Amino acid sequence: MTILGLPILSLITFFPLLGMVIIMALPSARAGAIRWTANVTAGIEFLLTLLLLGGFQSSAAGMQFMEQKPWFLNIQYLMGIDGISLLLILLTSLLTFIATLSSWSAIQQRLKEYYAFMLLLEVGMIGVFVALDLILFYVFWEVMLVPMYFLIGIWGGEHKLYAAIKFFLYTLFGSVLMLVGILVLYRHYGTTNLLAMLASGSHLASSLQLWVFAAFFVGFAIKVPMFPFHTWLPDAHVEAPTAGSVILAGVLLKMGTYGFVRFSLPLFPEASRTCMPFIMVLALIAIIYGALVCLMQKDMKKLIAYSSVSHMGFVVLGIFAMTPLALKGAILQMVNHGISTGALFLIVGIVYERRHTRLIAEYGGLSARMPVYAAVFLIMTLSSIGLPGLNGFIGEFMILMGTLPINWLWTAIAAIGIILGAGYMLWLYQRVMFGKLENPANQVLADLNLRELCTFLPLIVMAFWIGLYPKPFLGILDQPVDNIVRLVQPAYGDRPVQAIKAAAAPGHAAPAGHEEP
Amino acid sequence: MDLARYVADLKYLMPELALLAVAVAAMFAHLFGGRRGRRLAGYVALAGLCGALWLLAVTPTARGALYSGALTVDAFAQFIKLIVLLSALLTVLLTFRFFDVEGLESGEVYYLLLFAVIGMLFTASATDLITFYVSFELFAICSYILAGIFKKEIRSAEAGLKYFVLGALSSAIMVLGMALVYGVSGATAFSQIAGPALQADPRLFTLGMLLFFVGLLFKVAAVPFHMWTPDVYEGAPTPLVAFLSTAPKAVTFAVFIRLLATVFGALEAKWTPLLSLIAIVTMFWGNLAALTQQNLKRMLAYSSIAHAGYLLIGLAALSAGGSMAVLFYLFAYVCMNVAAFALILTIQKQGGFGERVEDLNGLARKSPLLAAGILVVLLALTGIPPTAGFIGKYYLLAAAVNRGLYALAVAGALNSVISLFYYFRIGRAMFMEADRPDCVLSVPVTVRAVLLLCVLALLYFGLFPALLTDCAALAALR
Repeated sequence: MTILGLPILSLITFFPLLGMVIIMALPSARAGAIRWTANVTAGIEFLLTLLLLGGFQSSAAGMQFMEQKPWFLNIQYLMGIDGISLLLILLTSLLTFIATLSSWSAIQQRLKEYYAFMLLLEVGMIGVFVALDLILFYVFWEVMLVPMYFLIGIWGGEHKLYAAIKFFLYTLFGSVLMLVGILVLYRHYGTTNLLAMLASGSHLASSLQLWVFAAFFVGFAIKVPMFPFHTWLPDAHVEAPTAGSVILAGVLLKMGTYGFVRFSLPLFPEASRTCMPFIMVLALIAIIYGALVCLMQKDMKKLIAYSSVSHMGFVVLGIFAMTPLALKGAILQMVNHGISTGALFLIVGIVYERRHTRLIAEYGGLSARMPVYAAVFLIMTLSSIGLPGLNGFIGEFMILMGTLPINWLWTAIAAIGIILGAGYMLWLYQRVMFGKLENPANQVLADLNLRELCTFLPLIVMAFWIGLYPKPFLGILDQPVDNIVRLVQPAYGDRPVQAIKAAAAPGHAAPAGHEEP
Repeated sequence: MDLARYVADLKYLMPELALLAVAVAAMFAHLFGGRRGRRLAGYVALAGLCGALWLLAVTPTARGALYSGALTVDAFAQFIKLIVLLSALLTVLLTFRFFDVEGLESGEVYYLLLFAVIGMLFTASATDLITFYVSFELFAICSYILAGIFKKEIRSAEAGLKYFVLGALSSAIMVLGMALVYGVSGATAFSQIAGPALQADPRLFTLGMLLFFVGLLFKVAAVPFHMWTPDVYEGAPTPLVAFLSTAPKAVTFAVFIRLLATVFGALEAKWTPLLSLIAIVTMFWGNLAALTQQNLKRMLAYSSIAHAGYLLIGLAALSAGGSMAVLFYLFAYVCMNVAAFALILTIQKQGGFGERVEDLNGLARKSPLLAAGILVVLLALTGIPPTAGFIGKYYLLAAAVNRGLYALAVAGALNSVISLFYYFRIGRAMFMEADRPDCVLSVPVTVRAVLLLCVLALLYFGLFPALLTDCAALAALR
């Protein structure tokens, strides 16, 4: 599929660069023109990604819209998407558009650089989801770090410098280890083309596979972030400007889990199965620990930040359960988390822009002054805690259902996390929105204006759509998830769930060659 | 063997011969040109270097050794010569700027630089102990003088003396090593040493190798022979540091590779672990020491130590891949290091240059384009895509992984993270700190040209490395 003679994936990846160049060429005094250019670019980019839906065939087994060119030596410029990437690309372009729109009045200084970095960030993010060559993937993965560093470091809060470099150092640490892992793969396969690697059918030797899996794991786990690699997240989220937090929570965290799905499971099936219990425990710790920390927070943004640790724990749980149901749920939950947490950061940003404080104690009784705001906040709170009828429920339910046949105890512990989640979110809502409007500073708060409402509308629509009729989304995921499960659990296709359960249960010598402690 | 062939073979040495003539011309221009002769010498040198680059492009590579095995003009040597000439060319441009601001222009700089370059070009081609040592010392002695040439600055004199004393010591040790190597083999041509030496006395041969390494490791500033680097880089005139931190390193690595590939090839089991260890220690030492530096030149000095460590990865994992990686990285390294020193020459403060990190504060607001360019340089130095620095580091690590040296690869990768911290103190100062009114930014056309060239090269070869990787692969030794 080409548009104006350009292959569509390259077009959607690099289109934001065009806007970036225009913005850089504009004089900095023309704030209006800069804002319009950025928003229009992000808007067109979103429309371009929607075009993908037109040509996409959910029944096709392989990658679609493939582009392949030699790049240098035997490394290829290889792009292609399947249902998993498609959903995440749409999420990325939508959230970037919303984040750009939400910055209209929040960002008042150094607009040029701000919007330029924002659009550059989008290039990196889309690139990560379309790249199918490991080196190309790595390039986009790193390209994205720099603009995010500056978004936090220039337009961030009080401790922005510390948070920015911490974010940069943590993620770079993870990714350089991944680079070494990529090189080991290259040595084994003689190519960095993911599809060729998978097609060859061979895998690294067991012990080496474990090491390389670990290298990739650290890179992705820092990004997710999984306990105990999560400590950069509260700093970065709290200090970043609202739009930065939206992108960070909405898209950047998904790259870690996307990496697990796209690379870790298919390339290292044996190591994935071996490490599964260990990773499951880490995921459960993240779920429970993240939720408990949320209960302690005085700062709204920090609370939402830690809730990401908990929610992303669910996603990892679903991924490493390695059943089609759980995996599908995990991928849908990535999208859900992007929608609900992205919206919650915007919600915090709305009152922060008006009052310049995020302390929960400063608020209370806002629902009286800001009814529309209260409604939006409520919908997103309920979406986040997984109320049936909204998107969060579908994802979490599928993850739990898919994990149950593997181990009921894990499922039970994760379910506790949902209860805690309802606890901290509803408590937050109660403290901020209900009660008496006592703080005089809050008496004059204005409700959402039209632009602000527009930033929320698409997210609300999506939350209800996924919650009420998730079938189209799941339909897109069927085929790719099937492929991945087949690669990581070769035995799965032939046997029912019970057999997998038996294989995963302790003390069983499973026919698939499982060796569980 | 006859005279006619000797003369005919001169066609392979066109760049060197032309530069020799130009250097003499520059010397005369300086001597007889009066007050304006100093700058005239500079222009002559500039033109000569451009001409030499052109001659290098048209000079064919010679099959086999020339002059009874004394010199080899192969693709490998040509690639190194290209790097040296580029580095010298950019340096001359920066030197103009330096003396415009500081005054006290010394015309000697230009022809000493040319003599150093001639020495380096011959070193890149040398395949005989004698030619190697003579040309090696030619550029070494010139570089001692260059480090100490700025008489206004007492630190410069200190730098020159320190560089000279330690350099002479390391050269002496190296000569001792060469004597041992010659003693056990009875041959001076690189290709004829290994066989007899291994037969005669492998242990003495190994000792000779170790002593030989001392001199080379000193020149590339590898730990534990790096002590001179921060002082020399801090004291010497900034544009010349751009030269001294790149060209000698490139040439020394070239000789190093040649020696490892020919003379000491059979001792690989000995030098692989040794060089791996030195690489790891050098990377960590350089990067950790750079973390606390406030002076940009000292910071870059430690960073150049760390980069020597990265390059040593390629040597420890020497194979066609390793030597190709070193060549690619050297090219990128010249671009990024020269650009980093050029940056210092844009900040003027109280009659001199701003050499401290905080002097860069608010640069992004003074000149967004310059700041963006420097950002590219910082990314390249750290090894982050889409820059040539990343591609170079990728190949170095790949070489290590392909030889099964996983620890070396992991150490190299982790050092990127450490280096990020101090390189991005520059990024932070430029983009996130408040402006400093006492530091004036002025970017004259020479510095602008240097920066533009370096930044574009780093970006271009980061995005489309195919051209350079193909050349480096073609030139790779072994």
